[in-house]
Amino acid sequence: MELTRKEFLYHYTLTPEWLQKISQNLGAALIDGKMMRMPQQLADGAAVFLEVMPGLSVFLLDMHFHKPIAITRVPKSGLYMAYYDLGEEITTHLLNGTPHKAGYSSKLGMAFMDSGIPGSILPPVGARSYSLRLLIAKDLLHQLAAQNHTPKVHEALFDESKNTLYFYSHIDSRSKILLNRLKDKNVEDPSFEFHLKYTALFLLGYLVERASRFDPIINKLSEQEILAIKASADELMNGLLSEFPSIQTLANTAGMSVSKYKLLFKKLLKDSPKQFFLKEKLLLGKELLESGHFESVSQVAYELGYSKPGYFAEVFKKTFGINPGTLIQSP
Amino acid sequence: MKTVVHGYGVDMDWMKVLADSLGGNLENGRITCHPAVMEGILYGCQINQDLSAFFQDVTYHQDINYQLRNTDDDFVGIYFNLTEGEAVQLMDNVQKPVGRWAYNVAVMDSTLPGDYLVKSGSKTYSISIFIRKMALRQNLQKIPNFEELKEALFDVAQNTLIRFERMSNQAWFLMNELRKTGFGHPLFNTYLTGTVYGLMADYLDQVLHQEIILDRVSQEDIIGIMTSQSALIAAMNGTFPGIEALASSVNMSETKYKQLFKKITGATANAFFLTNKLDTAKEMLDSGKHTIAEVAEAFAFFDASHFIEQFKKTYGFTPKEYLTLL
Repeated sequence: MELTRKEFLYHYTLTPEWLQKISQNLGAALIDGKMMRMPQQLADGAAVFLEVMPGLSVFLLDMHFHKPIAITRVPKSGLYMAYYDLGEEITTHLLNGTPHKAGYSSKLGMAFMDSGIPGSILPPVGARSYSLRLLIAKDLLHQLAAQNHTPKVHEALFDESKNTLYFYSHIDSRSKILLNRLKDKNVEDPSFEFHLKYTALFLLGYLVERASRFDPIINKLSEQEILAIKASADELMNGLLSEFPSIQTLANTAGMSVSKYKLLFKKLLKDSPKQFFLKEKLLLGKELLESGHFESVSQVAYELGYSKPGYFAEVFKKTFGINPGTLIQSP
Repeated sequence: MKTVVHGYGVDMDWMKVLADSLGGNLENGRITCHPAVMEGILYGCQINQDLSAFFQDVTYHQDINYQLRNTDDDFVGIYFNLTEGEAVQLMDNVQKPVGRWAYNVAVMDSTLPGDYLVKSGSKTYSISIFIRKMALRQNLQKIPNFEELKEALFDVAQNTLIRFERMSNQAWFLMNELRKTGFGHPLFNTYLTGTVYGLMADYLDQVLHQEIILDRVSQEDIIGIMTSQSALIAAMNGTFPGIEALASSVNMSETKYKQLFKKITGATANAFFLTNKLDTAKEMLDSGKHTIAEVAEAFAFFDASHFIEQFKKTYGFTPKEYLTLL
């Protein structure tokens, strides 16, 4: 089905100002300047916005959309944004009762970016959207990350004329545990605001700690380069059943030299293209094993394009610590 | 014995009085005392206009008699206290032991005086939260059965709030998690503030879901269950001792033991044991120094797969995935 999305524009502020504007445009009710409820024909559920501390705000969206819309962020510099999406990370579509090759699409649940880079929320229609955004003042992050790297590297990382802070990844384990716990809470509970603030502050801490383990790659990215690398990662994720394309092909598609492509891919995705592809393949393998649509490990291995199921089982065990066979569920 | 007369409050001007009374120095929210009195961190910060916190991680080298005499009467103090050693709170001349295995959460209206004795050699690890009464009431009023609970929460005759309770497991782990980030690390304030919000959320949930009020259970029974919790924590590296043994060690019937354990802690003895085991095992994994098999063995899981299975059931992914995505 072709989705024609009605578009709404906004840009973030640390105060509820932006939410008031977008609520008016959407015809949504804004309660206490914190909780947004959409008109019923558009979506059920709620979105909550809280100022957590000076320099940090959080926006949680838990809605079930009935109509396609696009909420598009107009670029405006001054903030960093961390985005966590707890929707399904890998969806397997069924065609005539069997999983269809073209039907696997996986996505990464987390992104960190400068609010100067545009972005869009395209909520799925007919499914629960659950996502959380941290809005972080640049000064605050600069200060919190002070011990992550040597002072020289730290200053270079935060020097906007030299470097763009951006990454795109899976949600780390500790953050995922926090978010899963939050997902169990009811936004109407008297304790909910405290839970949300607690979650936001720990997510911020975990984000800073995680960033300290990244190899600092100092490079200024253009919007075009970001889009090209993201498209390249998405292409790899959509082609997990095929062979790994050559780096040369990938670089050509992205319109970059091989060395530049490799560098920028690592900067954004924190892995080399090949490592990234293999990791994603195994994660898809895990989803397939657990999907109940396969009767044996060999079937999954062949589906993923491994010629030797034993090799797949071995790599799988090494990565996840469990025998793939134990995940097979009878259909 | 040193006598320290002081107050607390949401506004932080009390810190100077406390610092002077302890003979210490106040700088950027931190009080530094003479090492002959105590060593460690005393740190206070205001979180927002209605909320502030006081963090203590100190070893006492002198007996101190704290006399809490607040000058502000517009707040409630919620004290989460994990003191190891001798510390008692005096209330109407009744001594209430304070610490990990005693009453470790106290909720006190600011109009009430408090006397608190800490012996030399004790280690105090505590977070005190000060919240304006108006703000706390606003939160409590959102509780659907607030009217029913009001009687239990407030001393209606005096309209004051005073309770002594046991910390939930979640609160205990929140406090321990904060210990991983040293004072002075750029993230310390972020995690401290996060912990304060987490403790408040957990406290409200406790009030919200509380089936019974602890004061209506006999003192002896509470002590019995606490002793048992303590024994379970100590036995964490072994296998579950079994209800029969646990019940008989505190002179209760199995039925009574099971019922009381659930009422007081909110979980069954087995679930309490397993949660503690897994959370501690997860911490061991966090350190990055141990293999999954080593951790499984350290906590007496039948084998690695058993550990993996339980871990997955609790956290939603396997230990290896946990490490991979760390």
